Amino acid sequence: MQQTVSATHTGKQQAVSVKLEGIVKKFGKVTAVEKVDLELPAGKLITLLGPSGCGKTTILRMVAGLERPTEGRILFGGEDVTRLPAYLRDITMMFQSYALFPHMNVYQNIAYGLEVTRRPKQEIRERVAEVVQQVGLTGLEERPVAALSGGQQQRVALARSLVMQPRVLLFDEPLSNLDAKLRKRVREEIRDLQQELGITSLYVTHDQEEAMAISDLVVLMNKGVIEQQGDPRTLYTRPVSRFAADFIGRANFFEGHYSAGHIQVAGYQQPYQQEGISGKVTVMVRPEALKVHLSGDGLDGTIHHVSFLGSSTEFSVDTPVGRLEGVVAGDAPELPGRGERVKVQFAPQGTFLLPA
Amino acid sequence: MAVIGKTSLKGIASGRSPAWMAGLVALVSLLVLPWGRTDRSLLEFDSKLLVLNQAPWLGGVLLAVVAVLTLSSLLHLPLVQRGYALVGLGGAGFLVGVGWLVSTSVPFGVGALLVLTALLVMVGIGLSESGIIQNDPFVTSSILVCSLFVLLFIAYPLFTVLRESVLVKGVFTLNKIQSVLTSPLFISIENPYTDHSEQLLVNLTTLGLGLLGAGLAARGGLRGPRVLTGLGVGLVLGWIIGAGIFGGGAFPTSLYLALIVAPITTALGLVFALLEQRSRAVWVRRSLGVVSLLPLITPPFVFAFALIYWLGRSGIITSDLLGLKTSFLFGINGVAIAQVFAFTPVAFLILRGSVQGLNPALEEASTTLRAHPWQTFRDITWPLLRPGLAAAFLLTIIESLADFGNPMLLGGDRNFLSTEVFLALTGRYDPNEAAVYGAVLLCLVLVIFGLQRLWLGNTSFVTVTGKPGAGNFSPLPVWLERTLQTILALWGLAVVLLYFSIFFGSFVQIWGINNSFTFKHYVDLTNLGLPVLLKTAQLAFISAIIATLVGFLIAYLVSRQQFWGRGLLEVGSMLSFATPGTVMGVAYILAFNTGPWLLTGTGIIIVLALVFRNMPAAVRGVISGLSQIDKSLEEASTLLRAPSSTTLRRVLIPLLIPQLLAGLVFAFVRGMTAISQIIFLISPGNALATVLMLRWIEQGDLGRGAAMATVMILGLLTVILILFAVSRRLGRGTSLEAAV
Ligand SMILES: Nc1ncnc2c1ncn2[C@@H]1O[C@H](COP(=O)(O)OP(=O)(O)OP(=O)(O)O)[C@@H](O)[C@H]1O
Ligand SMILES: [Mg+2]
Repeated sequence: MQQTVSATHTGKQQAVSVKLEGIVKKFGKVTAVEKVDLELPAGKLITLLGPSGCGKTTILRMVAGLERPTEGRILFGGEDVTRLPAYLRDITMMFQSYALFPHMNVYQNIAYGLEVTRRPKQEIRERVAEVVQQVGLTGLEERPVAALSGGQQQRVALARSLVMQPRVLLFDEPLSNLDAKLRKRVREEIRDLQQELGITSLYVTHDQEEAMAISDLVVLMNKGVIEQQGDPRTLYTRPVSRFAADFIGRANFFEGHYSAGHIQVAGYQQPYQQEGISGKVTVMVRPEALKVHLSGDGLDGTIHHVSFLGSSTEFSVDTPVGRLEGVVAGDAPELPGRGERVKVQFAPQGTFLLPA
Repeated sequence: MAVIGKTSLKGIASGRSPAWMAGLVALVSLLVLPWGRTDRSLLEFDSKLLVLNQAPWLGGVLLAVVAVLTLSSLLHLPLVQRGYALVGLGGAGFLVGVGWLVSTSVPFGVGALLVLTALLVMVGIGLSESGIIQNDPFVTSSILVCSLFVLLFIAYPLFTVLRESVLVKGVFTLNKIQSVLTSPLFISIENPYTDHSEQLLVNLTTLGLGLLGAGLAARGGLRGPRVLTGLGVGLVLGWIIGAGIFGGGAFPTSLYLALIVAPITTALGLVFALLEQRSRAVWVRRSLGVVSLLPLITPPFVFAFALIYWLGRSGIITSDLLGLKTSFLFGINGVAIAQVFAFTPVAFLILRGSVQGLNPALEEASTTLRAHPWQTFRDITWPLLRPGLAAAFLLTIIESLADFGNPMLLGGDRNFLSTEVFLALTGRYDPNEAAVYGAVLLCLVLVIFGLQRLWLGNTSFVTVTGKPGAGNFSPLPVWLERTLQTILALWGLAVVLLYFSIFFGSFVQIWGINNSFTFKHYVDLTNLGLPVLLKTAQLAFISAIIATLVGFLIAYLVSRQQFWGRGLLEVGSMLSFATPGTVMGVAYILAFNTGPWLLTGTGIIIVLALVFRNMPAAVRGVISGLSQIDKSLEEASTLLRAPSSTTLRRVLIPLLIPQLLAGLVFAFVRGMTAISQIIFLISPGNALATVLMLRWIEQGDLGRGAAMATVMILGLLTVILILFAVSRRLGRGTSLEAAV
């Protein structure tokens, strides 16, 4: 029962790229993942984002080797690992439930992987000490894990993954058990550590804000297929579909017409530039791109309600194309009040045209 | 596990294989251990029995195969190609070895056993390393080895029973079945010595109940299938009752008995379960914990034995108090009474689960909707209890059919299926007849399990035991509580009297006739019974350890691993739980009496019978334990590079210690008290305590039997109390349900 993995832990792992080719996964009759092609560049953090049940976890588990694809290949830096068992893949994963071993203390949990792979005692001690310090658990080594707060358990799980210096690090909604404030802090820490160590990471979440905040690349999924992938900015400003626009941030949608560099909406015309589209379109307008004025040019509208939320003010306006939602930063005393007739314009940065 | 040399990120594909360990074992076994045997003892050793002397070409082939595989496992070779070699060559070696044993009918020796197992392990490792199967080497080998065991020690014996019932002296014939099924021992309705026609009475009862059933079913509306079902059920029940009362023979008698015992037992079980949950009186709730202990510490026929003291021909109540010289106890009555005492705690344990699974919030909701308590019971509580009641009912039917000790002691001149199996084999020396009886009993039990499936869908006996819900139940109405308490008190009194009589009987000369105090029986017991008792404990202990380990492994495989044939393995391992003990016993005798698998006459066959009888309890205990452990713990361990053997050792076993401990103790206790499956298998030097006790009682040495029973009861009680103390120290409770 001896395992020696030579040339593995002699230094930091070289970051490796991960490639999924034509991956299909069926559970009996259910198709969880359908023909996914995906490339994770070495050393980057990629998020899989999408609604519940769209197959994110399934993809993650196939990369980990916990599930075998029905079709397709998985490559780590050119090496085909599709049939390689999970325990030989050199990958670690952070689970939603943390999956800490309840009968071991913090130190034992973190050292587990190193002990299992028979690293020398001295090396184990040093490496555990190093990650304990990295994730800020110093002084808690002897605690049973049950006696830790949620955030601390989270860190133990992270430390346990990092100490193995994996080729790829996987996260399955690791923050969903934390409260909102802590979630924000921990996700920044994860991002910092990941960038510092340069580990290729695949991160699953259904929280679009989290995805935008930490990713180099966001992969948006829907019903087992990839809807769109790109950096967070592209996804936000150039969604390929109504689903993508809706899932990433909020948006207003309405019918319009586009020709000769002008959007026409219910009799109102506004200059706008977008390649490769014309005729009947669906106009997407982000709330912050909705501008209202008491006078001037614009779509006719009536303010329906205004609510001050502290750092921003939200409002809605009834127009011939329906009720539109808007938002402005801070308190906005200049905003027209309820019932006032206004002109509505669309700022180009937050506006995008989709095929009707 | 695997020693992997990675030259680059691409280089995962070659390395050593753990198969060398199995290879080494096989190599050594081939060279120095006996391949076959000439007699029963597995410890026999003679250089003539080495495979190279016994069958030189076989030995040569196997040695070559094993040597090649072992060597290649030690070298850094491509995993996939070597995997295929392990599968191909190892599998061929295995088949050749088994083929030789089967074709020559030479009983296997220790060497053959080890070599074949090692080859199977190598095949498993090969399957995994070649990527044919995704599971890791340890899991794959475990699957193969466990499947082999289940096949050889559960499926094969049961198949043998069926085969022997149609294969008389090697010739296929249905005559045996026909002659047994028409013999008066099996069914006899008409009694020529009475002047009325029993057949007519039976027909009338059948018809009457059939019509009644149809009528009841039609009350809820005249729908064809429903009425037909009612008619069918009524006809079957009517025939059983009619034939049980007016006729005779093992078939109707056993069924009739089960039909009497099951409703009474289930009702009592429900009474106790309700009382435990809702009684106002603390003493009531406390004392019910003790009730659940009884079946564990009581050898199965001890109640029957104690009943003889009270109600027998010279029993205290019948003879001394009432002045009767009656033998009413010997027959269906006595067996039924004894079974009610023996099986009520079992029904209680099942119903306790489903009563605890009730959600008080539902009842509270119903009450706040102004439902009358009776309506609440009818509309809310009853439908939720029904699966549990059905489970308890069917399980007691099975227990009653399978029961051996009580009918043996109290059956009188009636015949019962389970005792007929035994008597056919040991009294009439007719293995084929025994096989027919065994097959009938087996079919009945499987039909009942099938019914349970139909009736309850997929809720099994295991899942109907729920978890305690939060909240408070409204207490029972006072009059109801009084009634139930009275029932409990009477039952308790009877049980106390029964135990007391055993205890008392072991200290008096001759119970009821000469009540002077004596140690005589204990002296006799020390001389005659102590070695047997120790031997029994030894065999039970060995079997408990194996049963727990194999049960743990099977539970882990079926609940945590995906593989082809998983369902089969689960069903196979549960089959021995469903099979009545006598059927299993006769199956072992028939399957392992000659030929390559000769095992009869050894202690090993007793151990094996106990292992495969008690393993399902361990399997279920561990499965329920596993269901409380998040699967991601194991996945985390796997991703931290632990092969599954390490995950088992370092993560699962430590977390499952309470279940494993309980499994071990229950398997031991059940091994000590087992009778039906092992009464066939005893041999000189391997006598067992329960069998000896039964013989003493049958011979009329009641005092000595009582002394043995007392020692066993107290011993087992101690063992169980220690278990409880230990698991309390571990801070985790032990569920008795697993022991049912
Ligand atoms: N072991 C399994 N057996 C059968 N179906 C499964 C299994 N695992 C997942 N599925 C199905 O596959 C689909 C995708 O599941 P998956 O867990 O990948 O979703 P997800 O995107 O992670 O969702 P969530 O955000 O809720 O975690 C679902 O329809 C799910 O029911
Ligand atoms: Mg998920």
